[in-house]
Amino acid sequence: MDLNEKLAPIRKGLLEFVILKIVAGDKVYVADMLKLLGPTEFATQEGTLYPLLSKLRREELVDYEWQESEAGPPRKYYKLTPKGRTQLSTLNEYWKNLNRTLADFGN
Amino acid sequence: MQKVVSISLNGNSYQLEEPGYEQLRDYLDRAEARLKDSPDRAEVMADLEQAIGEKCRATLTPHKTVVSSIEVERIIVEMGPVESPDAQAGNATDTGAPGTGSAYAGYRPRKRLFKIREGEMFTGVCNGIAAYINVDVTWVRIAVALLTVFSWGGLIFVYLALAFIIPYAETAEDRAAAFGMPFNTEELISRAKKNFEEFGQQYRWRREWRRQQRHWNRQFRHMNEQLRVATANAGPVMSQSARALGGIFVVIAALAGAVIAVALILAIFSLVVQHTVFGWSLPQGMPLWVGILLLVMIYIAVSTPLRMVRQGGAGPVGYHPGWGALHGVLWLGFMVLMFWLAYTFFPGVRELVDQLMWAGNLVADTVSETIV
Repeated sequence: MDLNEKLAPIRKGLLEFVILKIVAGDKVYVADMLKLLGPTEFATQEGTLYPLLSKLRREELVDYEWQESEAGPPRKYYKLTPKGRTQLSTLNEYWKNLNRTLADFGN
Repeated sequence: MQKVVSISLNGNSYQLEEPGYEQLRDYLDRAEARLKDSPDRAEVMADLEQAIGEKCRATLTPHKTVVSSIEVERIIVEMGPVESPDAQAGNATDTGAPGTGSAYAGYRPRKRLFKIREGEMFTGVCNGIAAYINVDVTWVRIAVALLTVFSWGGLIFVYLALAFIIPYAETAEDRAAAFGMPFNTEELISRAKKNFEEFGQQYRWRREWRRQQRHWNRQFRHMNEQLRVATANAGPVMSQSARALGGIFVVIAALAGAVIAVALILAIFSLVVQHTVFGWSLPQGMPLWVGILLLVMIYIAVSTPLRMVRQGGAGPVGYHPGWGALHGVLWLGFMVLMFWLAYTFFPGVRELVDQLMWAGNLVADTVSETIV
């Protein structure tokens, strides 16, 4: 099994966490999220992102509002809900603990 | 020169070169199939369409109004394979190539029975069955033709039932899977209802119906031909006593046939009115029409040997028009009953009744013309 195959599920599992982090800042449009993620390990595509955002919205972690764009139809801008903010801080906490545990094992 | 297809993506129209349109439709079909269990399906599809629309718009200028196939291909690659986050457990890598998607892992390899339009003769049922059992369609057609003759046309009902129950392979997905998944009863019933309603509503039904008539006419002529051949062959080789015996058999078989036919009609009536047949009630959860179909199948199974006896014995005593007429009347009654059932259970059929009556007359004419 090549290394990338081992790492892919880790990245995939963390993508939701990363998205929450991104929308925690300002309201974001999907194309901007893709641009932000592009140069990182979490580079992804619309085909993955839209279904994930819809799921997060169903779980009431993110919400969106419509905004007019200079060209074309209005766009969805995503933002974090209070419930999403709570979950994000839980995740942040968990991630810190995880890092600490890993460090404690050494090497 | 390329043919251009106009499409609407989430409420905005775009012009695509035809091969590009095919690719895009394929992509969206695949996306929809992967999201079929997701509660967000409609929303995600709208999002995807809008994203594709924006990418299309970016390729256009005041002097370029059509999105080329190459651009569509690039857009599809940019969009990436659609994955349902609800179905991703345990499956991490997805290359996006058809057939390797996580959402397909469960059902892809299973075969599924479809009607196939390509190279169909009538409704594509034979074609689909051939694909399903992986034999040449000619063998299936021969088998159907033989069984139709031996069941005295009874197989037509089975065929019609199948034509309503089995869906057409509409997409590339379907065609790929035209080889799979066992039916469950619920799916089967709802599909049959839906197909029947569509069949009734579409203008197309008239044309279908005429084709049906031609099909039936052919069938009747064909059966009659078989009968003559059987009669001619049976006659000369039979001894005097065998002829007498044959004559008696004709009478007995015809009587028994009539009794069974009446029993069928009574059984169906009692099933409809009291939901029991001679004290036997339908198992829990089995819909009425399945029970009726079962009765019809039992009828066909029981009456086939009788008919063969009658057929074998018909030669020696000559073919008396009275028996043919009796048989015709019973047969017609049976048909009318089927129509009545359809009338009662499928609201879309109501408007068709006039035409059905007219068709019933036509069938009666055909019966008396070919048999008398």
